[in-house]
Amino acid sequence: MNVQQSPLWTTQTSGARLTGTWRSALPDYRFTPSPCLAACPVNGRIAEWIGKIGKEDIRGAWETLIDNNPFPAIAGRICHHPCQSACNRQYHDETVSICALERYVGDAALAEGWRFDKPAKERGERIAIIGGGPAGLSAAYQLRRRGFQVTLFDAKPKLGGLLRYGIPDYRLDKNIVDGEIERIVDLGVEVRLKAEIADAAALKKLRDAYDAVYLATGASSSKKLPGLDYGAPWVVDSADFLAAANAGNPVATGERLVVIGGGSAAMDVARTARRLGKRVTVLSLEPEDKLPAQRVEVDEAIEEDVVFVCGAMMRAVRPAAGGLALDCVRVEFTPGKKRGEFAITPLENATFTLEADAIIPSIGQNADIERWRGLLGVAGPVIGTDGVWRTSVAGIFAGGDVASMDRFVTQAVGMGKEAAVEIARFVMGETAGSGFDVGPTLSFLEINTHYYPKAARNSPATVAVGERLKGFGEVQERLATAAALAEARRCFSCGNCIFCDNCFFYCPDMAITKLEGGYEVKSDYCKGCGLCVEECPTGSVRMREDTQG
Amino acid sequence: MELISYQDEGQFVSGHVACGGCAEALAMRVILNTVGSDAIGVVSPSCSAVICGGYPMSAVKIPMFHTTLESAAASASGVKRALVAQNKPDTTVLCFAGDGGTYDIGLQALSSAAERNEDILYICFDNEGYMNTGGQKSSSTPLDAITGSTPSGKTTRKKNLIEILAAHRIPYIATASPSHINDMRAKIEKAKAIRGTKVIIVLIPCLPGWGVADNAAVRTARKAVEAGVFPLLEIEDGVNYRLNVSEKGDSIESYLKEQKRYRHLDAEHIARLQAESDFQWRRLQQRVADSPERRS
Repeated sequence: MNVQQSPLWTTQTSGARLTGTWRSALPDYRFTPSPCLAACPVNGRIAEWIGKIGKEDIRGAWETLIDNNPFPAIAGRICHHPCQSACNRQYHDETVSICALERYVGDAALAEGWRFDKPAKERGERIAIIGGGPAGLSAAYQLRRRGFQVTLFDAKPKLGGLLRYGIPDYRLDKNIVDGEIERIVDLGVEVRLKAEIADAAALKKLRDAYDAVYLATGASSSKKLPGLDYGAPWVVDSADFLAAANAGNPVATGERLVVIGGGSAAMDVARTARRLGKRVTVLSLEPEDKLPAQRVEVDEAIEEDVVFVCGAMMRAVRPAAGGLALDCVRVEFTPGKKRGEFAITPLENATFTLEADAIIPSIGQNADIERWRGLLGVAGPVIGTDGVWRTSVAGIFAGGDVASMDRFVTQAVGMGKEAAVEIARFVMGETAGSGFDVGPTLSFLEINTHYYPKAARNSPATVAVGERLKGFGEVQERLATAAALAEARRCFSCGNCIFCDNCFFYCPDMAITKLEGGYEVKSDYCKGCGLCVEECPTGSVRMREDTQG
Repeated sequence: MELISYQDEGQFVSGHVACGGCAEALAMRVILNTVGSDAIGVVSPSCSAVICGGYPMSAVKIPMFHTTLESAAASASGVKRALVAQNKPDTTVLCFAGDGGTYDIGLQALSSAAERNEDILYICFDNEGYMNTGGQKSSSTPLDAITGSTPSGKTTRKKNLIEILAAHRIPYIATASPSHINDMRAKIEKAKAIRGTKVIIVLIPCLPGWGVADNAAVRTARKAVEAGVFPLLEIEDGVNYRLNVSEKGDSIESYLKEQKRYRHLDAEHIARLQAESDFQWRRLQQRVADSPERRS
C-alpha cells in the first residue's frame, strides 16, 4: 500500500485502504423473472407495471403493459390469471389482484383515449393474418409496431372472434372490445372483413402473395356429444346460442335448459340463459371441484341460481310429459395426464332423471383443420407447429385455438405475440428463435418480507345478484383508485428492482454508488458481507463468488 | 414500504477496518452524516475507535479525540467547555463509546457529566461485551449469553443502564437500532437540537462476538426490536417515556436463533429469557403509562 504521509498532524482519510481485497463474494444486480411473468401467457412485465401504478404513473403502467398485450382492459376482465396462482405473495398473506389492476389500467387508457404510437420506421414486408380473434389481432399489433405491412382477413362482419361472439357482455362489455380493437386497427392494419379463406388452395395463393402468413382461425365448431340427435329442435348449439345472445337476438328455447359441460363456455351459456329468464341446470362429468371453468365463474353461476349436477353424464333423452326426460347416471371421473384428458366409470346404481325443454351441449370447440388438409400437417386435433409456431409450410405460421389446445384468450394473445416475433425473424431472413422459456424465476425465499407488512387483498366488488339477472351489465366492477394504489403497493416486485436505495443505505462500507436507473458496486471497498442482498426487499441483488483472480 | 432517507454527505469514508457486515460501521455512517461537519468527536478505546481509524488515516471527516477508556464523558465535557470558551457553542460534541466504556469503566465519568448536564451527545455502541478485546463479558452482557469469560452462559442480568440514566433526569435518552435507520436519524437530529446531556444507546449485534452471520446484523437487530428484547424508546427529562415501536410481535426464540452465543439454551432457559423480556416490557409500558405529559 502506498500511503502518503501528511506533513500536518491531521490525517488523510481511510480511502487509501482498499478493503475490497478482504472479499470472497461480490454482489451482483440482476433482473430475475418474477413467477407471475413466467406464468403469464404473454410474459408481461407485471412487477414493472404494477410498480408504476404504485407510483400513480398509470400512463407509464399502460405503456409497459402494451409491450406484450394490446388488450389490458379485456385481459383484466376475463384472463384466467395464472399470474395470481403463481404470485409469491400468497406465501405471505394473499396473492396480488393482478387481473383487477390490469383492468384498472386498461380502463384508464380507454377513458383517456390513449393511442398506440405509430411505428418508428415503415418496412416493406407484407404479412397476411387469417382470423381477427385474440391471436390474429395480437400478431397484427406486434407486427405493425415493428413496421410491417399487415393485412387482416376475417370471415365475420366484425373483428374480435371469440371476444365478440363467444364471451357474454356481463363478463366483457363489447364497448371494451371495440375500443381495444379499434386502437390496433388504427395503427394502420388493413382489414378485410367477410373475407373467408375457403380452402388450402386459397391459403397457398395467399402465401404466394405475401411474405408470410399467420393462420389464427380459432376453433369455432362445437364438439359433438356422441349419441345426441343434433337435428332435433330441442338441441341448441352452444356457439350459436352465445353468438345470438351477444348480438341481442337470442335463440328461442323452452324454459328449462340443461347445459352439458363444465368449462368456461358452459358457464357462459348457463349464465346467459339465466339472464334470459330460463331455469338452468349444468350437467358435467367433472366433480364440482374439478370443473375446468374458472372458480369465480362457477361461484357466480351458483349465486345466480344455476343448478349444478356434477360428476354425472346423460345416457339417453326421451320425450316426456311437457318436455324431455334425460336419463343420467353418476360417474367416477379420473383426470388424465394432459389437460382435457380423462376417464369415466358410470356408477350403475346411481341413475336419475332430469327434466328439460332443451339441451345445450357445451363441451368444447374443435378447430376446423379439414379446410387445410393436404397443405398443412396436423398434430391431433390442431394444426401442427414447432416450438416457434412454424407449420409444415415455410412462411406459414399458426397459433391460437387452431394450433393449440391451450384455449384461454390470453394464451392466444401470447401465441400471437410469439408468432409475430418469429414472423419478423423469418421475413428479415434471420435464424429462428429457440423458444420462449424465460428461465428460472425468483423464489419467495429471496423476498425480504419484513418490508411488506401483512395487508389484506383488495378485490373488485361484484354487482348484487338481483341486479345482475336483470340484464347483461358487467358483474365485476373496476377497483376504485385508492384500492388500486393500495393493491399495487402490495406487490413484492420479485426480482425487479424498485430503486428503494436499501442496498445503498445498508452498506457499512459506502461501497454502493447510485447511478441513473441503477447501482454500481465499488469493488475497491466492498467486503462482500451480503447486507445489501439481505436487505433488498425484491431479491434484485445476489452474491456471486469473487476470486479476484 | 417506508424508504430510508438521509443525505450521505460523505462524513464517513470507505476503507475503514470494521468487519465486513458490521452494524456499528453502519450506525456510525448514519450518525456522522446526520450530525454533520460542525462537530468534534471524542472516542474511548472500543471498536468505534478502531473503525474511526488510528494515525495516519481517519474514516471520519470530523476531528476525533481518542481518550482513555474511563473518561469519554469527562473528555467530551472538557472539549465542549473549551469550544464554548472559544465562542463556538453550536459545535456538537459527539462521544463514541462501547458498552464496556459506558456500562462499566466509563460509568463514573458519564454519571458525573450527566449530573452536571454537560452539553454532549453521547453514543453508546452496545454490543453487549468487550468484543474488541476478544469477546469478554461486560455488565451489559445479557443473562445466559456465552462470552469468552462466561463459557457456560452469564449468570446475571444485563445492567439496566437506561434506568440509571433516567435517574439522572437528563434531557434526552434514547435507544436506536441499525435496523431502523430513519428512527435513528430522527433521534440524532432531535438530540442535536437539545442542550444538555443526551445519551443514545445503539444495539450492535456483533458478528464474531454473538456468532451472527456476515449478512445478518441488521436482521438480528430488527428481531431484537420486534421481540421486545431491545425496545426502541425515548425518555425526556428522565420521566417522559415513549415507545417508538409500541407493539411486540415475535417471540424471543427467533432472535436467539440468529446467534451462536445462545445456541446452548434448552426450552426451559428460553422460557426464562422470554419471561424476563416480558417482565421488562410490561415494566416499560407501565413507565410509558405513568409518564407526565411530554414537553410539546
